[in-house]
Amino acid sequence: MKPAPFAYHIASTADAAAAALARAEGRAKPMAGGQSLGPMLNLRLARPELLVDLSNTPDLQGAQVEDDAIVYGACVTHAQIEDCVVPDPTPGWLSAAARHIAYRAVRNRGTIGGSLAHADPAADWVNIMMALGSSVLVAGPGGARAIAASQFMTGSYTTALAPDEIIAGLRILRRTPDARWGYWKFCRKAGDFAQASASVLVDAQRGDICILIGAIETTPAFLSDPEEILAGRRSIRDAVAQALPGRGDEGLGLHVAAVTRALAIARGERD
Amino acid sequence: MTATTTLSVNGQAVSASVEPRTHLADFLRESLNLTATHIGCEHGVCGACTLFVEGRPVRSCLTFAVSCGGADVRTIEGLQDDPVMARLRAAFTAHHALQCGYCTPGMLATAYDIVTRLPGADEARIREELAGNLCRCTGYAGIVEAIRDVLAQGPHAHEFAQLARTAPSGAKAPALAAVAAPESSLPQQSASADEEIVGGVTLSRSVTVQASQERLWSIISDPMTVAKCFPGAKVDSVSPEGLVAGSFTVTIGAVSARFAGRGKVAFDGVAKSGMVSGMGDDGASRSRAQGKVAFSTAAEGADASLLVVDITYKIIGPLAQFARARLIAEIVDRLLKLFANNVQLLAEGKDVSIETGGFGLSMLLGAMVAALRRALFRE
Repeated sequence: MKPAPFAYHIASTADAAAAALARAEGRAKPMAGGQSLGPMLNLRLARPELLVDLSNTPDLQGAQVEDDAIVYGACVTHAQIEDCVVPDPTPGWLSAAARHIAYRAVRNRGTIGGSLAHADPAADWVNIMMALGSSVLVAGPGGARAIAASQFMTGSYTTALAPDEIIAGLRILRRTPDARWGYWKFCRKAGDFAQASASVLVDAQRGDICILIGAIETTPAFLSDPEEILAGRRSIRDAVAQALPGRGDEGLGLHVAAVTRALAIARGERD
Repeated sequence: MTATTTLSVNGQAVSASVEPRTHLADFLRESLNLTATHIGCEHGVCGACTLFVEGRPVRSCLTFAVSCGGADVRTIEGLQDDPVMARLRAAFTAHHALQCGYCTPGMLATAYDIVTRLPGADEARIREELAGNLCRCTGYAGIVEAIRDVLAQGPHAHEFAQLARTAPSGAKAPALAAVAAPESSLPQQSASADEEIVGGVTLSRSVTVQASQERLWSIISDPMTVAKCFPGAKVDSVSPEGLVAGSFTVTIGAVSARFAGRGKVAFDGVAKSGMVSGMGDDGASRSRAQGKVAFSTAAEGADASLLVVDITYKIIGPLAQFARARLIAEIVDRLLKLFANNVQLLAEGKDVSIETGGFGLSMLLGAMVAALRRALFRE
């Protein structure tokens, strides 16, 4: 339960981190809060030769306020979002979701950028950032680029990041209180990984409507015809079954429940 | 190699030379002899090692000492004279909130966080906040009662500073890649690939390739070509009897592993079908994957054909308990897609594209990924 030896580098800037990763030619790993990579190192499932520590990198911290969005540095922690230490671009949706990520001791170190880079299919931010139409801001030797959150995760634990790129931040669009939102997940125990999760967004002002299901062992999936589902003309079960082909009732049940409850939250029928 | 880290532990400045891989709990216990911090699971699940960094509870098994440069670290030893901790200790005693005491330092750290951060917490919230600390003796009732008791005496001020984190000054970054990772040694022995897979899981898949059945068959009936189409696969030798030696290098997320083993290939040129069976060992996880792939082809008109694949696998060893069929199925599907794309390219007379990252076909891959998440937390 002790990590294999590795060299250690504290990155002073995002670009310096990317340069260090590029020099290591795939034998290095970036680490933000280390709450996912840490266990993998301790279990020796991950054995990088070099660890590039981003947790204190100044340009990955804090939030920048833009007209239409708020940009979180990749190393903003779940606890900072929970405590509203950084401004919430939504009417409290992010703060409420952050509170239920793992445990407080994990939230104090775990980061939003790290969670997206780890790309666990059951992770909360993977689902929520996709549903909110956020962009992932990436730094690397080839220059900065932005990737839509819906294009970022390419499969379980797999992302569009190149080995020498890191997430610099997240651009999250502002949402007004007129917009409706629901997020619900099923966990066997408080703080455990979700076995099903669903986001519902209805933002008439921006014209954004989506229903997204997560914790499906791959990239979260948008349900087709969300307007019809919201209007009660399309069955949730049919829509979920279409998004998850080949699963029997047993495999669909939790996901149908998650969508039903997220919809109820978005309609204000339950907390 | 070691790095020097300077931090404050219970108000005392400490400067020490540590290996980068040393986590904070080990550093406190082994280097500073501060043994109140207990180590349980060492992967962030049990909460026994919870202590304070910058006034906030963290898992010290998931925090490297070298990353705490300039930080303020508080352990249970450092809170002996703290009035809030004194109230918690008295309440834990009064409510029988411990038996063996192993979880208690972590419980006290979390309890301190609850009573100072959440003055209005009710029993449900206390239980939710305690979910990250496991106790196998008490059934939690006494612990919850003790925290309620202390909350009722509140409000409580956080008695030690919650400092803004200052960037470590003068921290010297070790030279890049100064340490070479050790080569993992792989077991030499390999069991027979012919063994029946008892209790295996079977996945059936089919993909359409835009090529005639003849063309498809000419590609997939050559083990070397098939291996070329599977990123991460390497065939070292094929004997005339169809015995194959090779390996799969698998990289997904932060995990990279090499499974080496032997297998057997049999082709039926008349039916244009075949069977690959094999077994591979991963030295790092001391686990073994056993698999059998039956494949057949069928014409779908003159220019298209169907490749039907039935995969049966079984995982033996420490990773077996983590294998989840659906996650493995997702990985198999992604792999088959890559494989089909490469076969298609070959059928069109082009060279195959090997995706960077060496995503390979090991059933163990899925098991390993699944192993992570059960145990692990998100970043």
